[in-house]
Amino acid sequence: MADTTEQPFTVAVSDTDLELLRKKLDLVRLPDELEGAEWNYGVPLADIKRLVAYWKDSFDWRKAEAGINKLPMFTRDIEVDGHGTLNIHYVHQKSEVKNAIPLLFVHGWPGDFLEVKKVLPILTAKSDEHPSFHVVAISLPGFGFSEAPKKPGFAGRQYAEVFNKLMVALGYNEYVYQGGDWGHILGAHAVTHYGHTNIKAWHSNMPFYRAPKFFSNPLLFLGMLTIPFDTVTKTRLAHSMKWQSKGRGYFIEQATQPQTLGYSLSDSPVGLLAWIYEKLVDWSDKYPWTEDEGRLLEWISIYWFSRSGPAAAGRIYYEMTSQNQHDVLEGTKYSSVPLGASYFPGELVRLPKSWTSMLGNVKFEAEHDKGGHFAAYEQPEKLAGDLRKMFGKGGPAHGVVPGKNGYD
Amino acid sequence: MTTWAKPFTVAVPDADVERLHAKLELATFPDELDGAGWDYGVPLADIKRLSEYWKNTFDWRKAERSINEIPQFTTDIEVDGFGSLNVHFVHQKSEVENAIPLLFVHGWPGHFLEVRKLLPLLTAGSHDHPAFHVVAPSLPGFGFSEAPGKPGFAGPQFAETFNKLMLSLGYNEYVYQGGDFGHIIGVYVANIYGHKHMKGWLSNMPMYRRPTAFSNPLLFLELLTLPFNKTLRDRIAAVQHLQTTGMGYFNVQATVPQTIGYSLADSPIGLLAWLYEKLYMGVGGYPWTEDEVLEWISIYWFSRAGPGAPARIYYELTGGNSHDLFEGTTWTSVPLGLAWFPQEPVRLPKSWAHMIGKVVFESDHEVGGHFAAFEQPQALVSDLRKMFGKGGPAHGVVPGKDGYQ
Repeated sequence: MADTTEQPFTVAVSDTDLELLRKKLDLVRLPDELEGAEWNYGVPLADIKRLVAYWKDSFDWRKAEAGINKLPMFTRDIEVDGHGTLNIHYVHQKSEVKNAIPLLFVHGWPGDFLEVKKVLPILTAKSDEHPSFHVVAISLPGFGFSEAPKKPGFAGRQYAEVFNKLMVALGYNEYVYQGGDWGHILGAHAVTHYGHTNIKAWHSNMPFYRAPKFFSNPLLFLGMLTIPFDTVTKTRLAHSMKWQSKGRGYFIEQATQPQTLGYSLSDSPVGLLAWIYEKLVDWSDKYPWTEDEGRLLEWISIYWFSRSGPAAAGRIYYEMTSQNQHDVLEGTKYSSVPLGASYFPGELVRLPKSWTSMLGNVKFEAEHDKGGHFAAYEQPEKLAGDLRKMFGKGGPAHGVVPGKNGYD
Repeated sequence: MTTWAKPFTVAVPDADVERLHAKLELATFPDELDGAGWDYGVPLADIKRLSEYWKNTFDWRKAERSINEIPQFTTDIEVDGFGSLNVHFVHQKSEVENAIPLLFVHGWPGHFLEVRKLLPLLTAGSHDHPAFHVVAPSLPGFGFSEAPGKPGFAGPQFAETFNKLMLSLGYNEYVYQGGDFGHIIGVYVANIYGHKHMKGWLSNMPMYRRPTAFSNPLLFLELLTLPFNKTLRDRIAAVQHLQTTGMGYFNVQATVPQTIGYSLADSPIGLLAWLYEKLYMGVGGYPWTEDEVLEWISIYWFSRAGPGAPARIYYELTGGNSHDLFEGTTWTSVPLGLAWFPQEPVRLPKSWAHMIGKVVFESDHEVGGHFAAFEQPQALVSDLRKMFGKGGPAHGVVPGKDGYQ
């Protein structure tokens, strides 16, 4: 069954759109700020002033665009039960190694497909010392250059369906999966529906699940009683509680009134900049964005110039929680598909490592002393290194994809 | 201590009006899901309609002229630890010399003009009902009041500002009316200045803490009747639904007001949507006209401190979302009136309102929501007249000023 909808894809923002952005930046009106506010009330005014000036006067979108277009990108139509056809954008880089392991890399919010950029050359490199991968990095529906769903109700099962149909259409009937943020959450959904049959193993850099309950996981639950005496766990939980009380506004707004917020994000480049930049700073492990402002503005510009506009992406929070009525893992089940977990210290939610075993069949774990939420971007060698260890010769998930163990 | 108030007129510079129009010309709209209705937030059709009207039809200068028919002033108020704040306010005296001084305090996303429809009614003299001298400030950071420049401007500071405002006008003793933050600040005013200066107050959003076994055992026990008490159950279910689906704006403003401030200051349609969501959902069917909505939003757009400043009240009053809105307050015996409006979204069990203060007056209305003064001015005025008039439970609370000739 030949699929003929695949088209090579290049990013080509129109001159009109570029001009409109420039006009809006010229008309920017900034708010005031309290004395000594720093980061306590949100993104500091000085940061935004600097970034707006850069965006307006120095940032070269066409140059960034040309760089992005060096990646092998495509679009194709994917039919989703009850949601018609969605045109999906993805990076697809094959390795020289014929038996490379097919890997689906899934980003989150406020991430994008470009988070794969730094790990791509590492993962696809050929060597006797480590396995190689064929990498597919998708733009989630509603993000980047993928079409957005048009109807309500596009949630876990639908995303899993898109992923699986894409991989199968590319000839990868069996594959492995890597993700963080929504990439992690949707991984749990994907494995629920396509684990073993198609997804042979998966890896998460934001491994979290629900808290143990006495009846379902008595030992882990009892383990919680020792927390007051366990400094390591206490530190991890304190870090997560900070996000819980101070850092969840974006989550609740996007999970309940994404359309209302969407007017701001679609109309104001500086509003969008602040909304996303806050997380790029808060959630990364002291990543030196001031030295990478070109990439930072490219990141924001992807959202600004995205196919469905900047408002569509936030709806994932609404759909995956049914307007904040349940958690994001609703509908997932424990799966015995081999799971790898990488723990980065700057990650926003850090739960006791023992709880990861409720997420899946943990076969690989790695703990790092540097790196945060955007692991593939901040610590590409570490993340790719973990995948090589997990899937390489002697690794716990070596050879999970029959006939494609990563070596020729 | 009297500072002289200066007359004030709203006079938005031409450049600001032009910039608003330039931005509206460039407005870019998001997509929307099929059949979304109000499920995901404000519908696209509503924002497009209002945005078009704002751009092509709404006449700000005409609105401004009409606003300037209301007697407005500014005065400098010294607030402990914050220096001097220039506070904007409406001040309409009644012809009745012994009219009751009344402080009317708005909330978010409200503003000083919510007093507008009440003014002629409250200040009117009659044998049949009391008259009031009305003072309606813009909250610091809202409307045409200066914003505080430093962190920490919370409940006690708002209360101090308004008490000093009343004293500066020669109203050593006064009564108070408010809803939303007007209610919340009322709790602080009653706590800090109750009896000495604030002699009685009426709230149209009676809200306080939840009862616990230790603080209010009887009310707490009432909760045990939930399985058998449908009225109580329904009210709590409604509030829980609001908690789950309607608190995004609260959480954002209580934790990162600066971050959302960039959007609200820069995008007229962003600001429009953010506020209109509450104007629509808080009223249960009030037939907002385009002019009413856009005048309302324009006050925020053209406000003295800009549209980013008001959100900070959520941060300051909750300590950045680390405690509730009533930190440091307790029950007071200052006479309290409760005005219940059916479409008010924050409707807690009525019995819980007795934890706020000494309830001497209650009214139950058939119609009206969160913006009671705007939607149902006659009803709210009627409550104030009944509470403070002859035969009313708070008649004569302000010595020598009972509201009659």
